[in-house]
Amino acid sequence: MSVFDPFEDFGDAEEIALRLADADPAVRRLAVIDLAEAASPDVLRHLLAAAGDSDASVRLQVAIALSDFGTADAAAGLAALVADADNGVARAAADSLAELKDAAAAPAVLPLATHESAFVRASAFRGLKGLRAPAALGPALAAMKDASAKVRAEALGVVAYLKREETLPSLIAATRDTDASVRAVAVNALSFTSQGAAATAVAAALDDENWQVRAAAAESLGRIGHASAIDDLTVGLADDYWQVRQKCLTALGRLKALPAVQEIAALLASDLPSLRKEAAAALGEIADPSTRDALTAHASDADPDVRKTVRWALTRIG
Amino acid sequence: MDDFVDGLSEVTCDVLVIGGGTAGPMAALKAKQKNPALNVVLLEKANVKRSGAISMGMDGLNNAVVPGYATPEQYTKEITIANDGIVDQAPVFKYAARCYDIIQELDRFGIRFQKDANGDFDLKKVHHLGTYVLPMPNGETVKKALYRQLKRERILISNRIMATRLLTAKDGRIAGAVAVNTRTAEFLVLRAKTVILCMGAAGRLGLPHSGYLFGTYENPTNSGDGYAMAYHAGAALANLECYQINPLIKDYNGPACAYVAGPFGAYTANAEGKRFIESDCWSGQMMQEFYNELQSGKGPVFLKLNHLHPDTVGEIADILHRVERPSRGRFHEARGTDYRERMIEMHISEIGFCSGHSASGVFVDEYARTTVSGLYAAGDMASVPHNYMLGAFTNGAVAGEHAAEVAQEIDLPDYDADFVRLERERILAPTRRTDGIPPNQLEYKARRLVNDYLQPPKVTARMQIGQARLAEVREDFDMALVARNAHELLRALEVSSILDCADMAAHASLYRTESRWGLYHNRVDYPEKDDENWFCHTLLRKVDGRMVSEKRAIQPYIVPIETEERTAYERLRVSNQA
Amino acid sequence: MPLALSPTAVPVVVDEAKCIADKGCTVCVDVCPLDVLRISDLTSKAYMKFDECWYCMPCETDCPTGAVTVNIPYLLR
Repeated sequence: MSVFDPFEDFGDAEEIALRLADADPAVRRLAVIDLAEAASPDVLRHLLAAAGDSDASVRLQVAIALSDFGTADAAAGLAALVADADNGVARAAADSLAELKDAAAAPAVLPLATHESAFVRASAFRGLKGLRAPAALGPALAAMKDASAKVRAEALGVVAYLKREETLPSLIAATRDTDASVRAVAVNALSFTSQGAAATAVAAALDDENWQVRAAAAESLGRIGHASAIDDLTVGLADDYWQVRQKCLTALGRLKALPAVQEIAALLASDLPSLRKEAAAALGEIADPSTRDALTAHASDADPDVRKTVRWALTRIG
Repeated sequence: MDDFVDGLSEVTCDVLVIGGGTAGPMAALKAKQKNPALNVVLLEKANVKRSGAISMGMDGLNNAVVPGYATPEQYTKEITIANDGIVDQAPVFKYAARCYDIIQELDRFGIRFQKDANGDFDLKKVHHLGTYVLPMPNGETVKKALYRQLKRERILISNRIMATRLLTAKDGRIAGAVAVNTRTAEFLVLRAKTVILCMGAAGRLGLPHSGYLFGTYENPTNSGDGYAMAYHAGAALANLECYQINPLIKDYNGPACAYVAGPFGAYTANAEGKRFIESDCWSGQMMQEFYNELQSGKGPVFLKLNHLHPDTVGEIADILHRVERPSRGRFHEARGTDYRERMIEMHISEIGFCSGHSASGVFVDEYARTTVSGLYAAGDMASVPHNYMLGAFTNGAVAGEHAAEVAQEIDLPDYDADFVRLERERILAPTRRTDGIPPNQLEYKARRLVNDYLQPPKVTARMQIGQARLAEVREDFDMALVARNAHELLRALEVSSILDCADMAAHASLYRTESRWGLYHNRVDYPEKDDENWFCHTLLRKVDGRMVSEKRAIQPYIVPIETEERTAYERLRVSNQA
Repeated sequence: MPLALSPTAVPVVVDEAKCIADKGCTVCVDVCPLDVLRISDLTSKAYMKFDECWYCMPCETDCPTGAVTVNIPYLLR
């Protein structure tokens, strides 16, 4: 009868590392996979050595493996791999950079902020974002003027995560960026502040040519909570896109927009149940008795969600 | 691999965690962190790297109680109402109060929750009431992040070893577990001071409409082994008649992901493209409405996205095809279903037990303790209702910490060597036969009987016939089952759990002579809800080798529910007539 | 009762040209929750031995060389 050890072994890093010298790149690659799963801290040294392997598939595996280590050393290894000549390796390294958690890793990544490749610069800011490192603020603000939209978007992310009132001018400028995805992030990012200038800039984005930016602006105005946006949001209720009209309704509800109740109530007659529901929800938030009759007229709406929301709104009015 | 090896080993530990899916890794981590001197073992019949319900990740938290969006009081109230009041609130409240800490800890582990442009958690409102949904559009890394933590804490992991029975000491206290290697059939005795069961749902109970045994809603490895083991160890199981039945994508059998698509404006519609669901929360009531619509002239039921902007649909599809059940993109592609153009046909799942979505599970208190001393349970198999993935993590943490505290204060209990000998005989019996009935045939028959006789609408006489037919299958199991290699033995042992769960489903369903929880316990011959006699839990357990059920009073509410709030729910109740 | 063999089309397909199981890789076999993949004694490549698939995809996702494809089982398609 046999006796067996039921436990997964923790892996001997030195023993596995011997296979990194094998002539076959597939064997070296498998050694990297095994190293990544070994529990001992000294595996990092071997992984960093393998980052210089001549075979791209081995370097790719190292780039993936390094996401498990949040240390500054691992970040330095990734900083080298993100500029790899092989696109697959570079992409994997960029993804691993985005997994960094420890602010101590920031110094290893910061030098990439001025790298000649736009992909590397963007990946650097993508990695720096979650670290919320104050040292990244300066380079990120500078990169918000980068020629590449991808770099501007990622740099904007770094600035937005730091939530500093003194960066408002840059964030506001980004709401007028030439790239729609940058503008959408910028209007979202301004929702951390209650400054009037932010509300004005975001309200202006309700006229953006891109409907996603307009929808994001409406959502953001609801969070900023500035009554000055009510007029613009009311105009937004006639937007060509129902998605934007819906977000404007939600925002007007959050702002308790008493002056807009008639325009909101008019949308209770919309063909789209989603808009009828959102209009009822907004009227419930505002709870103005003048809308009781309009709501009552829809208490038996054909759509159950609209019906429920109308009834809830009526209980709010009392 | 797979050839039989005659082997027997014994290991000893302080805390034994069985099941390495969601709750299990967290329980093991917390036990070890509570006392790093303790020997903590994590046992898993698959491989911890990719096991359990969240094998490929999870696309969101459905029940995140985050300050500023919801309060523990509000959450507890809503769960109480969603479960028709049959709730012990203490564990629900404890979960709600603790879960935000766990979210933050998971965030530090590298599990990716959706954040707004400022890096704050970006919660979404899905139901009419509170705001509880925290999306995880990049939630495919959950298991990887957990595995990394387990390695870092040097938890002893034992993969491809399936626990079959719990060991108890003479005084009834837990003493460990018996397990078998799924690739060699070697035997393992694990002695432990405390044991935490985290073995998932009983998701391989009903047979999916496709007829494919493994095409289940739940990960089919979740075959109810935990329910069966707890039962045989004498632990009480609560409210098993409150089945799990979920809406899903027809045939593919994966979740429709209303929690993913809902915040983007998608909804469940009938064939006319209209909303029909009245219920405010995920509940048996909602499933009854779904069932009624399916049976009606306006059926079947669909997930409607084709009214959304094509860019929005693209964004939803990108999440759905990457996280949780990524093969669904392939399924729809092969059928030529473009979400932008056509609604997606839905259906309801086969029955199962799962507290993640309903309320049935091994009875636990607010410390995750079962009724057996030293035995804990967490996740989809424990009785904390509607606790989903975050509940598994949170209650796993609660269980791990408490089990560690107890383990450091007691001696290793003795176990009965004769019990181990008999269990070994039971397990190896199918390997001693050279012909007979293979596990896949036996399983198909058992699960087909579950569909024919036990799924709702429930009828007394039909369930009784089901019991008799299932008893015949059990006799076949005992007398004729054959396993030709270790892998077939694994499947055979899973069938044993499936049969136990089927018996429990029938017994519990027959015991509660009323209808409650919408479709979950819709008893056609007792169509009314009977609060006077049945406003209580039911507990099922093994007494002197027999299955018995009893009532258990609901513990006084911590968060009072006003009569008006309850009646508001009553008004939303729909007829259980299709 | 004697046992017969009934054929079944399996959903997981391995591209043997890409598979590096012969170099010692066992990733797909390790990660499968249902433990249905094996390395062939004949070819030293991975293959689906048991038709018991949840089409969950770790085998495909985690394969370092992209050798594994998970199809939807025929009965569900």
